Amino acid sequence: MQEYITVSILNSYISGLIDRDELLQEFWLKGELSGFRHYQQSGHSYFSLKDADSTISCVMFKSRIQKMRFRPEDGMEVLLRGYVSVYARQGKYQVYVEDMQPFGTGSLFLYLEKLKSRLTQEGYFDLDRKKDIPRMVNRVGVVTSQDGAALQDILRVIKLRHPGAAVILAHSSVQGSDAPRELAQGVQMLNDYGLADVIIVARGGGSLEDLMAFNSEELVQAIYDSAIPVISGVGHEVDVTLCDLAADLRAATPTQAAQFAVPDYGALEKSLTNLNARLIRCMQRQLNNRTERLDRNLMKKVWREPQLLIEKQNDRLMLLEQGMGTAMLNKYKESSHRFELAAQALDKVSPLKILNRGYAILTRNGTIVSKIAEVVEGDDMDIDLIDGRLRVLIQGKEKINRWRI
Amino acid sequence: MENLDFDSALTRLEEIVEQLESGQLCLEDSLAVFEEGVKIALYCQKELKKTDGKVQRLLKKLNGDLDVTDIEI
Repeated sequence: MQEYITVSILNSYISGLIDRDELLQEFWLKGELSGFRHYQQSGHSYFSLKDADSTISCVMFKSRIQKMRFRPEDGMEVLLRGYVSVYARQGKYQVYVEDMQPFGTGSLFLYLEKLKSRLTQEGYFDLDRKKDIPRMVNRVGVVTSQDGAALQDILRVIKLRHPGAAVILAHSSVQGSDAPRELAQGVQMLNDYGLADVIIVARGGGSLEDLMAFNSEELVQAIYDSAIPVISGVGHEVDVTLCDLAADLRAATPTQAAQFAVPDYGALEKSLTNLNARLIRCMQRQLNNRTERLDRNLMKKVWREPQLLIEKQNDRLMLLEQGMGTAMLNKYKESSHRFELAAQALDKVSPLKILNRGYAILTRNGTIVSKIAEVVEGDDMDIDLIDGRLRVLIQGKEKINRWRI
Repeated sequence: MENLDFDSALTRLEEIVEQLESGQLCLEDSLAVFEEGVKIALYCQKELKKTDGKVQRLLKKLNGDLDVTDIEI
């Protein structure tokens, strides 16, 4: 039977080889962070470090992480100190990280942290000072390099969203020793010029050193002083510069900065058209509404046949007239009846009636004479009968006692 | 109206449309805000068209004056 060894023996043999190699016991390693994971429970972090062709697993224990001055993120270029050892359980060799810092920064990084905390304290990044980006932007001021890809990205996006928007470029170098001053001047110059509705400060991605111009106090001050709203679009998603913090709006990239800066012209136009249509439709409806109400009222019978109104009055008038006629007639009837009664009564006592029965009236010179004492023989007298008057001469008189009741 | 910027104008237009759509205004008020709305809409449309799409470069000359030139990029 062939001789053999166990897996454990092999792993511990390899581990021994590696552990005895002095080179692997302490070295500085540069690479890009990838798959960074921090476990809350254990406090350890696991990640890979890679370059263009190769990758290696790394572990960093809690005690080491606590000493770290920055927050590692995927894609970050870092420099780390550590040693290689074998994790026998998985037959895997990995780097045990003792210390890690952003590549090439060291003191630079610390300086930046200090500057940031000072400026924060001094209120340069206060959120309540942030200006709104106007919805309508026709002129975009851009502070960036006229030769950079960032400008191309910005122009492309602006053309796409708002083809009519004008761009005013304040050229500035975006790295190197002149860059901080030029960037700050660009912002000031656009403010002096005054015509831009918004200012983009931008640069494509790069290392922390490359982006250092956007971490200058000068630029922060210029942005802080700017009367025109400033959008920063510096580097990649992960890069946060002081320029980003000072700006009124932070975009992750120059492309996004351009998107934030100009409105989607088409959409804006559409919403304006829409508002306009609603405005008119609404007014139309209001007017229709009222026209309809007016019509409804005008359709009423009284308007179509106004004579009805008169007829109605006429009817009333006629009724009244009738009433009045009847009343008058009644009154007349009543009166004539009363008159008749009175006439009859009068008739009964009329002297003519008496004459009719054969009585006569004796008068002398128009005065009625009813007693013989008033008469002497030879008097001329008149006797009225019913149908005429007799002239008589009195020839004698004789007293007679009449029966009296 | 003249001192209204585009944003405020658009916001006012939105207000007006909502007011009108609520139907709570009397006819006189409706007509008044409608007229204002139409004016604002025209103004907004004019503002929208007030663009030329030029790319210019702003430079500070040695004497401190600002100089603007059209550029092709």
